[in-house]
Amino acid sequence: MCGFCGVFLSETHWSDGSVAGPQAGGRTRRQERAHRVAVANRVLRHYGLKLADWQGSAYLLSGQTGQTAVVPSVAAVWPAAEQLRKRSLDPFDEALLEALERG
Amino acid sequence: MDRVADKRGQGLIPVTVITGFLGSGKTTLLQRLLRSPCMQRTAVLMNEFGEVGLDHLLVEHVAESVVLLKSGCICCSIRDDLKSALRGLLSRRDRAEVPEFDRVVIETTGLADPAPILYTLVSEPVVRHHFRLATVITTVDAVNADLHLSRNPEGVRQLAAADRVVITKTDLAEPTQIAAARALCRRVNPTAWLLDAADVGTDPDLLLAAQPPGVDSRAAPPSDATLGTQAGQAHFAALERHGADVGSVSLVLDAPLDWTAFGVWLSMLLHRYGNDVLRVKGILQVRELQAPVFINAVQHIVHPPQHLESWPTDDHRSRIVFITRGVDRERLQRSLAAFTKVRVSEASYA
Repeated sequence: MCGFCGVFLSETHWSDGSVAGPQAGGRTRRQERAHRVAVANRVLRHYGLKLADWQGSAYLLSGQTGQTAVVPSVAAVWPAAEQLRKRSLDPFDEALLEALERG
Repeated sequence: MDRVADKRGQGLIPVTVITGFLGSGKTTLLQRLLRSPCMQRTAVLMNEFGEVGLDHLLVEHVAESVVLLKSGCICCSIRDDLKSALRGLLSRRDRAEVPEFDRVVIETTGLADPAPILYTLVSEPVVRHHFRLATVITTVDAVNADLHLSRNPEGVRQLAAADRVVITKTDLAEPTQIAAARALCRRVNPTAWLLDAADVGTDPDLLLAAQPPGVDSRAAPPSDATLGTQAGQAHFAALERHGADVGSVSLVLDAPLDWTAFGVWLSMLLHRYGNDVLRVKGILQVRELQAPVFINAVQHIVHPPQHLESWPTDDHRSRIVFITRGVDRERLQRSLAAFTKVRVSEASYA
């Protein structure tokens, strides 16, 4: 349940899953994972990284030079991305915000 | 699991955490609460030096020990003492060695950072399946609030983590000191209910009853009459100087949120700024849902989101309060808007 390190002492990270299931007119689990990957990729694209679903149970983070990391949740993407890119990722990054506002 | 915001917590034993700086009146408050008949089935965990002075049925003393996870940050550390104490309580209850209990109160040491305690409650595999965090109560000494909060970062963390703040020693303090302490508490943590120890009396319901999840929109600037006086202004100015880098901002979102986009943003924010985002508390209008979703985070620790039955007011817009240290509120606002593609504005208190 740690938003910082994504350490898993519990089975589900808070950010995994939807708050509205299909019964409530929301997405199925598969649709939700696909949507989460798409949303995260809007950010990761800015850093030359790409996220993909990995067998419905984890995520595969890839760099442009073939480096990869398997992470259990979106929260765990950020430390892994920083390791791959050797730089910190900042949600206040001006260039990132401009890219998100454009796209 | 498809739904993260299910109705968790039902059937779990509620845990109340009483924290506050050294000498701020935690034990006195606890003693008062335990005198109430409705607290009879309460197990109390105190630090090894604590003494409630009552023949309470079940008082355990625990020596503080923290186990840091190798890859973890400080707030996301398991309190090994607490884990063992809570597990031990369950085992001994099951063996009928201790009386049945239906509530646990933890009194922390004055220097404790509450975050590892909360992390243990929400994350430790056995503990989280038997207990749930009910409320965090923080005592603030009206006479020494200035000293406590200015010199000790733990004091600020304790205040930021609070669901209830109890101003203590009001019988010893000058009215201006009380007003200044209240004003500072409101400024640092506008989401908490603010009570005077004298008002709490022996009615534990005021402190322990479930707070309707939501965001207190009364996060207004201090308005105590005594602050208008010269002495009051001087007290408040002194407190303000000490906590100048800690403050809160309440943001309002004009349209329903994409929960996933919000989750991506919040996880990235807490990864980068978790040490300085002391608290996030909000009620969210999520797309596809009629009822709101309540979120609550203390530093890096995010409680499971909760579905609420209904909106507390006619205003159905998302409202999120951030208690931060040195984080630029304009950048926070802009970043949230860029990630969620929803217009974000600062709440007004007209």
